Amino acid sequence: MIVPRTAAAALALVAATAVAQAETVIIGMPDWPSAQVTAHIIAGVVKDGLGHDVKLREVSTVEIIGAIDRGEVDVHPEVWLPNSAAVVHEYQNVRGTLSLSPRSVAATQHICTTRQTQDETGISNLSDLSNPDVAQHFDTDADGRGEVWIGANTWSSTRIERVRAKSYGYDETMMLLTMPEDQAMASVDVAVALGTPIVFYCYTPHYLFALHDVVPLSEPAYDPQTWTILTPEEDPAWLARSEAKTAWQPARYHVGYATALKESHGDVAQFLDKLAISADDAEAMSYAVHVDRKDPQEVAAAWLSDNAARVTEWTK
Amino acid sequence: MNALKLIAGALMMVALAAGSAAATEIFDPRTKSWVRYDPSRAMRYYQAHGSVPSDFRRQVVKFRTAEKPGTIIIDGNKHFLYLVLPNFQAIRYGIGVGREGFGWAGIVTVGRKAKWPRWTPPAEMVARDPKAAKWAGGMPGGPENPLGARALYLYEGGRDTIYRIHGTNQPWSIGLDISSGCIRMNNDDVTDLYERVKPGAKVIVLMQGAALYRGV
Repeated sequence: MIVPRTAAAALALVAATAVAQAETVIIGMPDWPSAQVTAHIIAGVVKDGLGHDVKLREVSTVEIIGAIDRGEVDVHPEVWLPNSAAVVHEYQNVRGTLSLSPRSVAATQHICTTRQTQDETGISNLSDLSNPDVAQHFDTDADGRGEVWIGANTWSSTRIERVRAKSYGYDETMMLLTMPEDQAMASVDVAVALGTPIVFYCYTPHYLFALHDVVPLSEPAYDPQTWTILTPEEDPAWLARSEAKTAWQPARYHVGYATALKESHGDVAQFLDKLAISADDAEAMSYAVHVDRKDPQEVAAAWLSDNAARVTEWTK
Repeated sequence: MNALKLIAGALMMVALAAGSAAATEIFDPRTKSWVRYDPSRAMRYYQAHGSVPSDFRRQVVKFRTAEKPGTIIIDGNKHFLYLVLPNFQAIRYGIGVGREGFGWAGIVTVGRKAKWPRWTPPAEMVARDPKAAKWAGGMPGGPENPLGARALYLYEGGRDTIYRIHGTNQPWSIGLDISSGCIRMNNDDVTDLYERVKPGAKVIVLMQGAALYRGV
């Protein structure tokens, strides 16, 4: 967002131009590590490379795009597709307030298990979870159903994982747990330490794959004919009327930004369109923040130092 | 079935066979009910070995995690508490989970610590238990105090929750879901933990096992 947009609009043209240059670029920062590092990278380049004031604002991913539409945030470091496809369509194509960088990082999403769980229980397919005998392996509270973490409450993917559980039928055999990622990852740590069975939502790029021996459960390849995802805003009966019977579409994420930046801060928009972070970069960022316990800002500074030539190219 | 469930099951069978009228109860997750039991078997084991069963003795274990050293992770399913150490290690302690420790999970912090904490029984316990009623106004800290030698008070958003990690005057109860208390450790262990943990430490209570019990 450009602060204060309405006040700036009221100023004379010449003055407005001067004000726009001084306006602060607000970068949204979701709660997962690679997005936080990328937010700091963008902040570093916009501030030191392009000379604008910047501010980082912690906002959940489901709120950032709405905040961009309202002019409260300018940049979303990781807009995941297809997770956010419906909302992106609305704000990018209908309202025109959101733009996505043409570059993207390849990502995957699955329900995962540990290698040891797979070896000891024989589970290999996601559909196995709909078998009560298999689900029993993951039952910790003796209610006859297993448990599976499907994501954090604030994530776009979590609602879709609920649809997937219904579509595969394991919503009947497994309790679908939502909780913060740190809590879920600690459960994986404990399961690995004790050799107990566990299944959980997972995504790449992520440090988890370097920390533990984790494998995704197999599924039929993505088939758009089997996916119908409605949002609660579109239909109160969204869950009953949604289906997702095959694997996630290979995902990707883009930097998203307020379309208004193209006018007010054209250099920033051009930089964001060129910024290219690889999946390997993203996994390394995730590991550095979570396992090496480095501050996201510190990881961003190291990345900027290591990639100075690329950054210079992107800001020409 | 894990070792804990075997132990708990054995204890329940002893209790049922003896028709014990002991006031202590153990949670049976299969029936979702509290079952009276005679703790003498666990007590005898403790007295013979001077300790809890080996799984629940304090020990350093390999523990790969992204959590930083000083973080506590509580597994109410297996009755373990991990204190994360550097270099992918942790100290693992045995715990007992009480009725007050059921049905909650989350990420909290150690808000404050106390030595030989004072204990005030909850109103419903005062109502049903004459022994507790005696201490309705608060029981001073000491060997008979059910909070044991140390307590770590867990806070969320800067506010005290009702949850504590505390010692016990019933060390044989470690590893069991016993009716009173929250997260219990034997006094040596909670004292060890007390010395190692700083206020502000992150505490992750896993959403599994006892944390998923509701309304029991």
